Amino acid sequence: MNIPKIHSISKKILVGALGAFLSFFLLFHASANLLILRHDDGEWYNAFCHFMGTYSIIKVFEIGLLAALLLHAILAIWLAVINKMARPVSYKKPTRSKTHTGSKLQVWTGILIFACLILHFTDFYFVKSGWVKGKYMTKAEKVVALNATQPDAANYAEQHGKYSAKGNWLTNFDKEDKAFLEAAGLEVEPDFYHQAREKFKILHIVISYLVFFTVVWFHLRHGFAAVFQTFGLYNYKYSRAIEILGQIYTWGVCLMFTIVVIGVYFGL
Amino acid sequence: MKFTLHIWRQENAKAKGHFETYEIDNIRPDCSFLEMLDILNERLINDRIAHPVCFDNDCREGICGMCGLYINGRPHGNDDGITTCQLHMRKFKDGDDIWIEPWRAKPFPVIRDLVVDRSAFDKIIQAGGYISTTTGGVPDANTIPIPKHKADMAMDAASCIGCGACVAACKNASAMLFVGAKVSHLALLPQGQIEAADRVKKMVAKMDELGFGSCTNTYACEAECPKLIKRQNISRLNRQWIGALFGRDRKE
Repeated sequence: MNIPKIHSISKKILVGALGAFLSFFLLFHASANLLILRHDDGEWYNAFCHFMGTYSIIKVFEIGLLAALLLHAILAIWLAVINKMARPVSYKKPTRSKTHTGSKLQVWTGILIFACLILHFTDFYFVKSGWVKGKYMTKAEKVVALNATQPDAANYAEQHGKYSAKGNWLTNFDKEDKAFLEAAGLEVEPDFYHQAREKFKILHIVISYLVFFTVVWFHLRHGFAAVFQTFGLYNYKYSRAIEILGQIYTWGVCLMFTIVVIGVYFGL
Repeated sequence: MKFTLHIWRQENAKAKGHFETYEIDNIRPDCSFLEMLDILNERLINDRIAHPVCFDNDCREGICGMCGLYINGRPHGNDDGITTCQLHMRKFKDGDDIWIEPWRAKPFPVIRDLVVDRSAFDKIIQAGGYISTTTGGVPDANTIPIPKHKADMAMDAASCIGCGACVAACKNASAMLFVGAKVSHLALLPQGQIEAADRVKKMVAKMDELGFGSCTNTYACEAECPKLIKRQNISRLNRQWIGALFGRDRKE
């Protein structure tokens, strides 16, 4: 069987398209994270997380997102290896040409972001599945309903948990509580709002976030204009506009993420 | 002026190369870089020190694209928009160490010393960088009206002399600026648009086959091009490629 050859430009276009998709998701994620700044005991943010965690179309999107991330990384590394092979003997003197620093760092910032995202996913999925310690919550109305059939379990939930989000949720459960309540037939899900607010009070986590988003800034800063160039949309007429739009987008997304972390740390 | 030269010496394509150091003095600031190498070679021959240093050169006017040396970390040396033959010793300080290397890229193997085989570029042109119509007699210049800005862009792209500085400068040894310029100057003009899709497919396929790297938008090529060819030509190449994937001869 003949496997069709993917030419270098096609690979680049694919990397760019996947990168653009991931960038749009980042904007969506950053916008959602702003809800953490609301002092509503997690009413909006947790409602959003509940929707994201339970809606079936989102599940398909989630798989697509992870596949896009993996493919983006694999293709970019594949291209980097081929590019390395194109110059088997390096120059003695390092280059002094005026170049875009972002491009030279792109693979490395990409690898760093990928590694950090694995940690982030560990947090997200492992907490969800109960493998890693986290905060959990359950719907208050379900606990009330449980009172009729299993009063002990309902009492346990009310004693160990506390009402939040205008009494809609019972939260503050730990891993053991989660196991107990799930055995009683309750649906328990992570309380990302309180978990995030708790984490963003810890200085080393805040610093790690800021370092991470500096790396993301470098990656996006180069990536944004590069996508236009790769799609053949970077021309004499719009090049300046693309550069400015890239600056706005990159700063916008990174500031939206960091403002939440810094805001929570300083008690906002 | 006095300089310490570190020059890449390599007997032939298969031999292992190394840097050789030569001291040279009494060089006038107005002397061109290639004249300085001529003076060095005269001394190497007259004093029976070594074989003369081999380097490519021809017109010495920045037109032919033959000369090409990687000097102190920059193709064509420390100036913008020039070829090596247009570089003068006044651009260096007295007593400077100068490192001279050949273009480094898998598709540009070293033939000897500083001379590399750039026939890979010819192969890319042979693959599709032409118009295959039989034109007959030369038509009048204004028979086919062409907008001024398009004619200017085509002319800018056509000014590529194929020196290979773009490949030498690129961290990936990519030939995208060269191919972009060659695709652009044809794609921008009506005569070249008829075979645009076929042309771009063949040229890119050949470029990949020869082992050039891909573009990661570092734009070192643009910074070092002696003819100041812009990155927009790479963007046009990408645009043409996308058009070709859908089987369209794209009009620019």
